Amino acid sequence: MSARDEKSVSAKKSRKRGDDAFEIWLRRGLHQLFDDVAKEPVPEELLKIIEEDRDS
Amino acid sequence: MADTFHTQIVSILPKLRVQALALTRNRAQAEDLVQDAVCNALNARDSFIPGTNFAAWMHRILRNRFISDLRKQRATSDIDDVPGELLSSKADHEDRLAVKDLGYALARLPDDQREALVMVVLHGMSYQELAESTGCAVGTAKSRVFRARRQLEAWMTGELPEDDGLRQRASALRNEVDRRKMMGAATRSNGLRG
Repeated sequence: MSARDEKSVSAKKSRKRGDDAFEIWLRRGLHQLFDDVAKEPVPEELLKIIEEDRDS
Repeated sequence: MADTFHTQIVSILPKLRVQALALTRNRAQAEDLVQDAVCNALNARDSFIPGTNFAAWMHRILRNRFISDLRKQRATSDIDDVPGELLSSKADHEDRLAVKDLGYALARLPDDQREALVMVVLHGMSYQELAESTGCAVGTAKSRVFRARRQLEAWMTGELPEDDGLRQRASALRNEVDRRKMMGAATRSNGLRG
């Protein structure tokens, strides 16, 4: 492998590491922004609508 | 079948809320949107074919409802709708600013890209599932996620000139929110003394 090829492979690896790091950071950030909302209890009113429809 | 249908609705509610918040960027509007979508689903129960992808059917109903509402009244956003505030986070203090920046940057993405990113990265949907859930081609779904990711990365790492404008606006909005909080605290404090 020539020096140029090695440099290119090294640059690609470095870019991949950067992408992976951003992906991890992004996933973590999105969880911090959205997890609370997903975990909130379902409003009683909405549950009532679903249950009433189930019973009808 | 009816019981399964209602149980499936209840099970998917957390994911619907995340999708709704990703689309509306406003918690109150997101709650309304989920409720409206559930009502639409209950009314359209007969159009669901058992054995097909229930989650995709439900996400599509919510999305269509959002688009329909949007057409009726253009969504408005003021200082109180700043995502960094409303998408409240319990991040450690060293992460808080970066997460807030992510909130502001997300808000700048087109609705369909923000929705696609959240459904793939948070819900772990495949591009095929995303395409079914949003009623588009797989290539379009893939492209939305790719563009959202690239745009966010560019903004967050300062690779594009727009980054400066975004950060300045984000900073100005944060300052305004802090100023309002301080004014609110001062008013309450004066009220207590008075």
